[in-house]
Amino acid sequence: MNKVKIKSKNLNVHYGQKQALFDVNLDLNEKEVTALIGPSGCGKSTFIRCINRMNDVIDICKVTGKIEIDGVEINDENLDVVSLRERVGMVFQKPNPFPKSIYENISYGPKIHGKGETKSELDEIVENSLKKSALWEEVKDRLDEPGTSLSGGQQQRLCIARAISVNPEVILMDEPCSALDPIATAKIEELIDDLKKTYTIVIVTHSMAQAVRVSQKTGFFHLGKLIEVGKTEKIFKNPDNKMTQDYITGRFG
Amino acid sequence: MSNEHTVKSYEEELQNLKDSLIKMGSLTESQMSDSMDAIIKVDKDSIDKIIKSDDEINKFRSKIDTQIMNLLVKRAPMAIDLRETISSLKISQDLERIGDLSKSNAKKIKPLPLDLPEELLSNLKRLGDLVIKQLNDVLDSYINKNFDKAKTVWEKDEQVDDLTNIAMQSVIDFLSKDKKNLDFSTHLIFATKNLERAGDHVTNIAETVCYLIKGEYLKGSRPKGKQAQE
Repeated sequence: MNKVKIKSKNLNVHYGQKQALFDVNLDLNEKEVTALIGPSGCGKSTFIRCINRMNDVIDICKVTGKIEIDGVEINDENLDVVSLRERVGMVFQKPNPFPKSIYENISYGPKIHGKGETKSELDEIVENSLKKSALWEEVKDRLDEPGTSLSGGQQQRLCIARAISVNPEVILMDEPCSALDPIATAKIEELIDDLKKTYTIVIVTHSMAQAVRVSQKTGFFHLGKLIEVGKTEKIFKNPDNKMTQDYITGRFG
Repeated sequence: MSNEHTVKSYEEELQNLKDSLIKMGSLTESQMSDSMDAIIKVDKDSIDKIIKSDDEINKFRSKIDTQIMNLLVKRAPMAIDLRETISSLKISQDLERIGDLSKSNAKKIKPLPLDLPEELLSNLKRLGDLVIKQLNDVLDSYINKNFDKAKTVWEKDEQVDDLTNIAMQSVIDFLSKDKKNLDFSTHLIFATKNLERAGDHVTNIAETVCYLIKGEYLKGSRPKGKQAQE
């Protein structure tokens, strides 16, 4: 088993009066895919948004407990959130390319993080990122066209390319395939399999089959609590917890 | 599992699969019992009926295959449902093989003389009775999801091995008394061996039931009788 990259300790999240996460203790391993499953509103997206402090932008959100990346607490007031988000990229449910060219979608991140100072360096980053996201061959001749002109699946791969352009260590994916057709989904899953050689990946998904296909570890959330976490194979063949079994077999009323 | 599936038709499909398997099991048990009775009574009139009953068992096997394929395609079952589905596939295969062995035994009745020695028949009957009891118990363990009962069946295969050796020895003794006995003694040897093999399939079913219930395979190798170890 790979070493632990991200560790949450007694993590609690409140949105105003409402508690969204209750004492979540979860270890995520380096260069592995961890899938988070559970019914809507169970806290899985809230959890991954804690990893790059996306919850900071919500005024009423209060996070207590710890999240460590490589043993360093990320909720520290002195921590630079911009550099944290450089290390922890994110891909959302709906593809959301910038209203700019394909090239600029990728080059924007490295530029603001001070990477790729010359045009040739930027060209190299754009090409490598698009190659890593398996999009290069499809777009290499039209890099100046708008990102939004691509198909849904291509746009999502563009967003993945954008996330990896700043050379992150972790990629968070919040239902990355829910808006895609089966072929585009298959391409993203193939890509995830490839990306895990380099990055630590956390994916939130409503598709059990996808969780089984792409992840090595799965965590089941319910009503803000982490009910069970374990090897994906174990969770889907023989989970320990009855609630997990009820959820994955479709017995939740 | 007390909770029912949110999707009612999924619940029904799984229940229908279990019902098919229980019916197939019950037919297999009756066929084996009839086949055993016919051998012991050297009842040649029953042969055709026993052979025909195998067709019915095979039909169930095809039906169960279809039910499993549909479940896999439509529901992509997980956890206990996945184990239930896969176990049904394995159990139905073992039941079909048991059916084939009972059919094969029925066919061996034809050349038998009506005056077989009492001791030979009683040893064969003891073996047959035990295998039938084992089959009954394992089916019961499947229906009631009784792990301990399935494990006991698995452990008792040792007794099947031992009774096979005793029955086999009776046939060999009978054969060595008179060379004229050679022709039908060979049939009796095969019939005895078939019962032992049926017992092995029952053991396979017991292993499957244990896996179905706990999600783990039984550890270690099952106890074996003297001859089987050699």
